[in-house]
This record gives sequence, structure tokens and C-alpha cells, in this order.
Amino acid sequence: MSEVTRRNFLNNLAVGAAAAATVAPVTYFAGPRPAHAAIKVKGVVPDKPFKTGHITFLTGPANLLGEPGRKGHLLAAEEINAEGGFLGKRKIETIMADEAAGTDANVKELRRMKLSEKIDLFTGVISSGNTPALGPVAEELGLLTMFNDGCTDFLFDKAVPNPKYVFRVTNIQSADGVTSAVGAAKAWPNAKRVASIQPDYSYGRNVHEHFMLAYQKLVPGATSVSEAWPKLGTTDFTPHITKLISDTPDVLICGVWGGDYVAFYKQALRYGLFDKMKVATTLAFGGQPHAIGKDHPEGVLAGVHANYFFLHPAKGRWPTNDGFVERYYKRWSEYPSFESDGAYASLYLLKAAIEKANLLVGGWPEDEVIIAMLEGMGMDTPAGYLYIRPDNHQGYKDAVIGMTKNNPAYPFPVWDPNSIITIPIRDITAPPNWPKPGTTHNESTAAANWLKTTWLT
Amino acid sequence: MTGTIFVIQLLNALFYAAVLFLIAAGLSLIYGVMRIVNLAHGSLYALGAYVTAWAVGGAVGAAVAGTLGQIGLFLLLPIGAIAVGVLGAVIEPTLLRPLYRRSEEYHLLITFGLLMIIEDMLKLIFGGTPLTASNIMDGLGSISVGALPYPTYNLLVIAIGVAAAVGLWWFVYRTKFGVILRAISQDRRMAAALGINVGRVYVQAFAIGCFITGLGGAIVVPAQAAVLGMGVEWLIVAFVVVVIGGLGSLEGALVGALIVGIAHVAGIQFFAEIELAVLYLIATVVLMVRPTGLFGRA
Repeated sequence: MSEVTRRNFLNNLAVGAAAAATVAPVTYFAGPRPAHAAIKVKGVVPDKPFKTGHITFLTGPANLLGEPGRKGHLLAAEEINAEGGFLGKRKIETIMADEAAGTDANVKELRRMKLSEKIDLFTGVISSGNTPALGPVAEELGLLTMFNDGCTDFLFDKAVPNPKYVFRVTNIQSADGVTSAVGAAKAWPNAKRVASIQPDYSYGRNVHEHFMLAYQKLVPGATSVSEAWPKLGTTDFTPHITKLISDTPDVLICGVWGGDYVAFYKQALRYGLFDKMKVATTLAFGGQPHAIGKDHPEGVLAGVHANYFFLHPAKGRWPTNDGFVERYYKRWSEYPSFESDGAYASLYLLKAAIEKANLLVGGWPEDEVIIAMLEGMGMDTPAGYLYIRPDNHQGYKDAVIGMTKNNPAYPFPVWDPNSIITIPIRDITAPPNWPKPGTTHNESTAAANWLKTTWLT
Repeated sequence: MTGTIFVIQLLNALFYAAVLFLIAAGLSLIYGVMRIVNLAHGSLYALGAYVTAWAVGGAVGAAVAGTLGQIGLFLLLPIGAIAVGVLGAVIEPTLLRPLYRRSEEYHLLITFGLLMIIEDMLKLIFGGTPLTASNIMDGLGSISVGALPYPTYNLLVIAIGVAAAVGLWWFVYRTKFGVILRAISQDRRMAAALGINVGRVYVQAFAIGCFITGLGGAIVVPAQAAVLGMGVEWLIVAFVVVVIGGLGSLEGALVGALIVGIAHVAGIQFFAEIELAVLYLIATVVLMVRPTGLFGRA
């Protein structure tokens, strides 16, 4: 009668092995560990609090992404603290600051957090405009950093080409455009006239470029017929929408996100845009799930940027996700987003690295040992299997995208389970040590060069 | 198709200009009468949007729609404007009055502080998720322009913008209160010496300026959404309007809003890449040719 889930299978294994050997073997996944599987800490660990600095959007339209990130971080911290903290001793204390203060203010705040608050870890950050400024400063300060987002390729291509202290858990940005291109080409193989509406900064440029690169290989003869570049924080999209309609495209690629996307889809709906063209997005399901109303049209390719939507992997298929969604809903009375998953997984990755390092060296491990453990680490997270590549400190997990559909069980649209596609991440990202921009090529990203020279050729 | 697109883009421009005029007119009225550059003006606009969205889109709206139907929702629409007007009547005597004798830097500091406070209060009260009032808009349906739908509600917003322009003109140039306003604006001491209660007129003028801006937020929210940060976005464009039209001038706000509305839409349709630059280019040219704006006084 008892269903064999992956977790209790693993736990049973652990119990059996513990009986056989005197050293308790340890399993690592993003979530609280059952009491009987508690780790045995080597050496003496001080009970000094583990101070964490977290910068994310606490205000502005991007708060739609910042808020779930903050909640994911806090949930993980509370769970880890309930076990006594890292190694059962060091409880996590988090100080927050608002990313909306702007790049310069964020850099100053990072320095202040390190120099006067003496933080042990820096985390958070949503905007790709900010990580390239914060990354080099974190390296200079020698501050262990786990960015949750801010996923521009530029960070590890150019700004911090040889990272030591800086990691990024979620997604590499070029994969956004490529994932949507694969989804769109699969759904609408004859859509040759492409329009694009993107926020007018690095993210939008990146999505546009990589979508077109991939899409033109997947749909031969596809051309770009219309471009709209609303600035971030736009509330009136009607002139952009009318322009897009006037150019009669077959398919629209939309990288507009956060509160901007909510305003966009509502206006597009009333201007009949969704009747005139197919729509593919990179971030329609990127904010809190309940931010999108039931009036959102069905059959829109809804991207989730860092490859997590709470209904996938489906209930009963991946216990790490089942437990996470349940605990998150219990704590915050809402469903998690990819930012929640990223922030949550970050702390558990670090926890696993600290525990492994402790097994090796005993006591509280130096940052260098923790970093050595993080490099190449793989772990089960709510979204699936996450792997930190040692060459660029970037987290990789398979890309997912699906079509919108209304389901009476939820007060917001969700993915149609039959439409979800999973793309192995190695098929859409440049492999380790692929030449970076400015070395053997001058493309905007290593991924662009890899796509152009090798992809589907 | 080209004709259809032209008509719709023209309507888009008028819609944008109507909302922008309400914000810029409030800004100009307040500056014209009491010489205060109100940096919190955009946030007051956002407050109007949030209050209306909360009332119309939430439980209150559902209850009113249940008893009075669509008409009930329209009666509820101005609630955001009223709330902002009332807040204005509180802000002026408490926060601004002590500052009139001080230099302009103090005005900027206190209204900027107010901006931050209102932005945070909005998040604290209404949360980070966008609020909508689309039930009003959907109730009105849409008309056909050529082969394309155009929301009827947007026409109503344009009509409200026109009515507000006519109403304000009549109010300032054809009523006794308007004469008093203009007198104070020209020479405050002389007006006071003639027995006008300047303090009371200031409260009224500030509340009216806030009401107009709140009305902009209230009527825009069924068509868009109340989102955090919306105030700052519109504040910047409203400043472009008053730079072009002349700070303190109602005619300037109207003409400036029309110029910005049309340039904004034309920029998006014809040169999407540099649309933002077009607005600031116009403002720059106006500043070089007429530093006080088209209708401004030195």
C-alpha cells in the first residue's frame, strides 16, 4: 500500500547503509532532512550567526519577481534554522536591501554589507543590469556570492570571466530566447513572419538576438518584420501593440516581464492582438502565478525564464517539488515562482557544500573549501536536477516551457500538461570552455557564437 | 489597413495625451499658484489608480455591481480622485505650508520624501501584485475601427480629458475663484492685502491639483493596471510636458500633452529604436528656443 517515492526510497537506503557502516551517509537535496538522516558534524563549529545580504526588488513593477525570491530565501533560511542552522550551529540571519535603488546604490550597499555588516554570503539580485556591476565587486571583496538571477551571459563571458567567489544558481540568459524559439517552432512550424516586443535594455536585446538566431535555423526563411522596444516600467503599450498588428506578423516573441507583462497582455487582449498572431513569451509565467488573471488567453507559449513552474514536475513525480510547493504554500498562502525556487535552492546548495566541506576538513570550513565543493556540485532541487558547472560557476538545469490553459483548480492560468516540453540544457547552451566574446570571435555572447557555428548545421 | 492603423494610433495618442494632460495640469496648477514643484505628483496619480482599482476591481466593486450594475461601477470610478483630493487637503497645511518662505531646495526635498513615503505606503497597503479594474472596461465592449477592435472605454477616457480641459479653462478664466487664483499667482502679497484668505485658497488649489491627478489615475486603471512604480514613470513624462508647454500654464499643459502624445506614438510606429530620444529632443529644442516653454512666463 505504501507508495515508493524517490525520497523514501533514498531514505530507506540511507537507513540500511547506516546500519551497515558506522559513518552515516548523507543525501543532499533542497529541503529539510528527516530527523533520522541528520548529519554528523566533524569538529567544533562556532555558533556565530551566518550573516546573509540579500538584494532584490522590494518595490516597483519588478517586485513581482523580487517578492517570491525573498519568500523562497526566507523559507529555506527558516527551515535550515529549524535544524539549528548550517552544521546545526550557525543560524542564518538575512539583511535585505531594495534593488530598485539602482545599480550604483546596489554596489555601495554590497560594499557596506561586507565591510560594516560583515556578511558571510551575498545573494539575490534580479536584474541583468546589476549582476555585471556587482560580480566584480564581490570578487574584489572576496565575498562568497550566489546570485539567484540577473542571468545575463555577459556576467561570466566578460564581467567576471574567471569567477572564484561568484556563483549564479538559476539560468543563463541566452537559453531564454532559444527555449522560446524551440517551443514556437514546434507549435507553429510555418510561422515565418516574426515580430518582437522587448524591454529596451540588455535582457530584451539578448532575448531578441538569441530567439532570432535559433528560430531562423529551426524555421528556414523566417524573417523579422516588426520590432517594438518599450522601456522597462512602461504602462501604456497600446501604440506598440497597434504597430505590431500593423506589420502583420505570424508570431510574436515577447520578453516583457513583471508588472509590465500584466499591463501588456491586458491591453493586447482588448486590441485583438492575440487573434492576429501567435504569441511566444519568455516570462509570462515569471512572476507570482496569481498575478496573471483568468482573462489571459489560452494557447500562449508561456516562458518561465529560469525553468520552474510549480506544477512541473507534476505532483507525485518529483518529491522534492511536492514538498517544496506544500511548505511554500503553507508558509506564504501562495504558490512559488522560479525566483522562489532559485533563492530556495541557493541556500540548500550552500548547505550541502558546507556539510561536504565539513566532512573533509572538520570545523567551520574556509570559503575556499566550500567553493571547491560547490564547483561541479549536482543536487535535486524543486525544479529538477541542478548542476553547477565548475568552469563558469553557472547553474544549469533543463529548460521547460508550456502553453497557457485555464484549469478550474487554480484562480490563474497554468500550463497545459500536454504542452510542456523539456529541452536538455546542453542542447541549447555553449559547452564548457567555449571561446568567450573578444577571444576568437566578437559575438555578443559565447552562446551566440556556438549557435551560429555548430547548432543544427 | 493603413487607414485603420492611422486612426487607431491617433486615438492611442489622444488617450495618452488625455491622461498626461490631467497629470500635467495638476502639476502646473500647483506650481502656478504656490510655486511648488511637486515631485510626489506622480505618486499621487498612482494612489488614485490604486484606490480606484481596489474599490472597483475588489469586493466593493463586486457588491456595487451586484446592486446597481455597470452604472454603479462608473459611480465608483472617481473614488480614487476624491481620495487623492482629500489627501492633498491634508498635505498642504501640514507639510508644505511651513516651507513657502524657504528656498526651492526644501520644496524638492520634502516632496521627494513624500514620493518615497507614498510609494512604500502603496506597497504596504495594496501589496506587490498589480491591481486591475478591467470589469469596467470589459462591460463597455469595443467598437470596430476598420477590421480591428478598439475598446469603447478608451474613447471615454479621451472624452474625460477633453471635458477636464474645458472645465479647467472655464474654472480658471470664468469664475470668481479663478480670478482669485490668478491674482494670487501674480502677486501673493497684494492679493493678501486686498483681503483674500491666501491660506484657504492654497489648500483648495492644492486639493484641486491633486484631485485632477488622482482622476488621471482613476480613469487609466481600467485600461491598464495599478502597478508599483507607475507614478515615477508618468512623473517624468509629465515633466517633459510642462517643460515643453511651460510650467504653471494650463494651455501649456494641454498643448504639451498633445505634442508629447503624438510624438510618443509616432516615434513607436516609425522609429521604434529611438522613440524615447524623440521626446527629449523636442524638449531640448523648446528649451533652446523658448527657455520658459511655449506658454510659460519668465
